[in-house]
Amino acid sequence: MHPIIRLINRNLTVSLNPGFLLWQVIFPLIYIFIAGFAYTTLIPSVPYGVATVGYPAYLATGMIGFNIMNSTLVSGLLIWNDRRHGMFEQIMSGPFTRMQYVIANICTIGIIGIVSAVLIILVGFPVFQESVEFSVYTVPILVIASISGSVLFGSLASIISTRIRSSESFNVILNTTFLFLAFASTAFYPAQGAPPELSAIFYASPLTYLVDSIRAGIFGGITEIILIEMAILVVLAAVLFTVATKMMTKLNF
Amino acid sequence: MKSISATNLSKSYGDLVAVNGIDIQVEAGHAFGFLGSNGAGKSTTIKMLTTLIQPTRGKLSILGIDALRNPLKVRDRIGVVLQQPSYEPTLSVEKSLTKYGMMWNISSDERQRRAEQLLHDFELTHLKKRRNEDLSIGQRRRVQVAREFMHDMDLLFLDEPTVGLDPAARRSLLDYLKEKVRGGLTIFYTTHVLSEADYLCDEIAIIKEGEILVSDTPSSIKKKMRRKKIITLRTNVNDATAREVLSGISDCTVESGMGAHVVIESTEPEETLLRVLSRLHKNNIKMREISAEAATLEDIFLETVGNASHNSTD
Repeated sequence: MHPIIRLINRNLTVSLNPGFLLWQVIFPLIYIFIAGFAYTTLIPSVPYGVATVGYPAYLATGMIGFNIMNSTLVSGLLIWNDRRHGMFEQIMSGPFTRMQYVIANICTIGIIGIVSAVLIILVGFPVFQESVEFSVYTVPILVIASISGSVLFGSLASIISTRIRSSESFNVILNTTFLFLAFASTAFYPAQGAPPELSAIFYASPLTYLVDSIRAGIFGGITEIILIEMAILVVLAAVLFTVATKMMTKLNF
Repeated sequence: MKSISATNLSKSYGDLVAVNGIDIQVEAGHAFGFLGSNGAGKSTTIKMLTTLIQPTRGKLSILGIDALRNPLKVRDRIGVVLQQPSYEPTLSVEKSLTKYGMMWNISSDERQRRAEQLLHDFELTHLKKRRNEDLSIGQRRRVQVAREFMHDMDLLFLDEPTVGLDPAARRSLLDYLKEKVRGGLTIFYTTHVLSEADYLCDEIAIIKEGEILVSDTPSSIKKKMRRKKIITLRTNVNDATAREVLSGISDCTVESGMGAHVVIESTEPEETLLRVLSRLHKNNIKMREISAEAATLEDIFLETVGNASHNSTD
């Protein structure tokens, strides 16, 4: 077995404990089926392109991006945990190169991100099935957006992991980042109609680009703006991946 | 054949010289003890030898491989138990072992067999389903050492592996390692517990401030150092009387106690002892107790490190 496959195998075993998997399903379920339907009295529908979609369907598709971010930020903790529990040095004193370790971590994050997306698509499908418009154009958008989003948020968590040593600082930074990215985005509500300043802030969060692309992949309506958002998402993912890789290869003992 | 051949190995961090031009030669199938106080350069040396860090200068051959050019080839054939605890908190003890075996590309059947054997050898069978995060420090350390035997190796580095182990577990580990050395494994062992090095190692080196002060077999070092022996006698008189009687005898002091304690400290104390006994006999002073201390590696270590420190201060 190739060293990278062995490392991915180990990473998945370490990351995918039952608690994490349960949380990955229950957390979005609460959002979709409790918050989604509860808010329907306040937000009956959301305009999407030329049509409208029900708020639960809008939220369920937002939760796909949200869950990719959530799971990959958590799995990005791999590096931090490895350093904290001495496994980084242990692995590096074994038959692996740093680059293999970095690639294996990114692949693990990507796999967890895709699995999370699939889980929420399956769980949320009854909610948004009426508005689904899958086509040969939308499915690749969905897949590319999910992979790019996984790499982007996984790289972000990896960068934080390489810079922070204490658990207190790490938790503060990760939670602050998570709150900003999650709630200053279009995952829960549309940018249209929000005050212009807030709407502008939404576009500072990469989660906005991810959920907008995912919605386009599910509801159709691939516009020029969506393609630009996709391009931004891919470029951001590539830049953060490069930075994360450089920082991880420079980690000292 | 040499398992480790390091020549003029040095490591600097800016102006700080952590290791300064050390030479280490370790024969295959030997246990080599590397002793030194905190910050002496032990861990930096072990990190260079295990290819975790690059030396600033020097030559390094591990198992006949140029370690500076082919670090991965070296790491393929060595085992490393680092000083820092390393574990997967959420994995069970058994899973830790089998997963580690998988990382080393050991076949599924073989890693299951080895895990069972190691659980037995390290007395971990009753803990095999327990998660690492729920273990005591000593138990976790045992798992960490046991785990390294999941894969095949020609050379094993252990950086203070007995930290946190109780005396029985410590002795049991040393016996296990001795057995492995008898089977042909080469061991590079650092420790603060010098009796361990004395028990396990064929050869030892003492490092201080990045430089090796002495390197030889434990018995040769003990002979070379010719450490002063100490003989203590307890008498039935007070210390003032004993001092008066024994005045003029060199290498002999009198300490207060339940009856004066006569302490002879010399590299050749036998002659002094005869003179002391003769004076005591003449003055009708009885001897109640006598004891002699043998030289230990610990005393030699303290003396060596102390002398080096004293000389460097001078």
